Amino acid sequence: MSCADYNESIADFVDGTLDPARHRALERHVEGCAACRALVADLKSIQAAAFTLDRLELPGHLWNAVQARIPEEGKPSGARLLAFPRTPAAMGWWAAAAALVLATTLGIYTVMRPENPHAGDTAAVASDPADAGDVVASVQAELQAAEEHYDKAIQGLEQIARSESGALDPQVAAVLQKNLSVIDQAIGESRTALQQQPASADAQDSLFDAMRSKVALLQQTVELINEMRKGNQAEAGRLIQGLNQ
Amino acid sequence: MSPSKTTGDVRNADLELAGRIRSGDGTAFETLYQQHAPRLYNLAYRMAGTATDADDLLQDIFLLAYRKVSSFRGESSLGTWLYRLAMNHCLDVLRSRQSRQEQQTDSLDEDGAAPPPAAPALGAVSRIDLDRAIGRLPRACRAAFLLHDVEGFGHQEVGTILGISEGTSKSQVHKARLRIRAYLTQPRAVSD
Repeated sequence: MSCADYNESIADFVDGTLDPARHRALERHVEGCAACRALVADLKSIQAAAFTLDRLELPGHLWNAVQARIPEEGKPSGARLLAFPRTPAAMGWWAAAAALVLATTLGIYTVMRPENPHAGDTAAVASDPADAGDVVASVQAELQAAEEHYDKAIQGLEQIARSESGALDPQVAAVLQKNLSVIDQAIGESRTALQQQPASADAQDSLFDAMRSKVALLQQTVELINEMRKGNQAEAGRLIQGLNQ
Repeated sequence: MSPSKTTGDVRNADLELAGRIRSGDGTAFETLYQQHAPRLYNLAYRMAGTATDADDLLQDIFLLAYRKVSSFRGESSLGTWLYRLAMNHCLDVLRSRQSRQEQQTDSLDEDGAAPPPAAPALGAVSRIDLDRAIGRLPRACRAAFLLHDVEGFGHQEVGTILGISEGTSKSQVHKARLRIRAYLTQPRAVSD
């Protein structure tokens, strides 16, 4: 066998993984081959020196530098709904989203607040036969207006989500989508029930509850945006946990 | 000890630490940093060759780790996961840099080239010279050598970190040692 045939054995020998049979064969070869003997010795020396190479001390300022850059990163992937906006344009989008959701919330709240005789106390008002038809029509009109606010908000948010899709973590987005789907289904079922029984207080309450849930989810989203923009990781994490429930 | 030991307890601890980081626990992320940054800093330094580059690389590595921690599933230790991320980043940066010095080195030491001819006996190895020789290695060889001979990973772990087979790791490390030997035994006036 030539020296080249022992190349792999020498590598394993230096690593300490050479099996006994090949070990004996290599020993016999090395006894009579000065070049391979020198090679084995040198590789062992290099390996030993490598293990004892000087270690540079970790500069203390690096942790501060990493910490300073963390807010730019937003939440770790998997717990992130929306990354921090970094550009003025992106900031504008998020501000628009927050304003849009806030306006929708106020709009729906105006229609559905308890003092509104056409919404919170519909059943009592409808008990007056003379006004019942007008009240039902009025409530339906206001519900329609509320739904338009709601649809407008969703369209706006969807547009923003599309433009900022890179910043939206897929896992959290999926949770949001799931929650939205559940609420949308409840809204759809309530709307169907209301079409069948326009004066039904239960159907109205059910629709209002579903829409309130939608508003609450949108409010949570706005809060999350704000906390992430402020770099408040703990509060953002709490809000994300809330979205998962 | 290799930073990648994966007993059940260690793996559970890694998963718990990663979970805390995911949930926004700043102290958990600092723990990860304290555990691994000193060794990763040295690895980055020897991959890049300068302390300034190592500073930048280490910051990038931990920001990447923060961003990607949700991808840690516990299949390997958190240390192995972090080293893989670190080496990928270092290799990406070095690849994109395309320095003239590296091109010269690569032209002399292309992967697959025959082992250097027999050299005179080396004797004691100066650590300064060894550092210099490591800096002259092609990237792939350098990465495998640093992980195995300097950081103490086994070939299987080196393979996991670099995305290569165990056999390729053995081959790369051996090749690296041969090239270091050739560098250390050559006349210095030419290159140094």
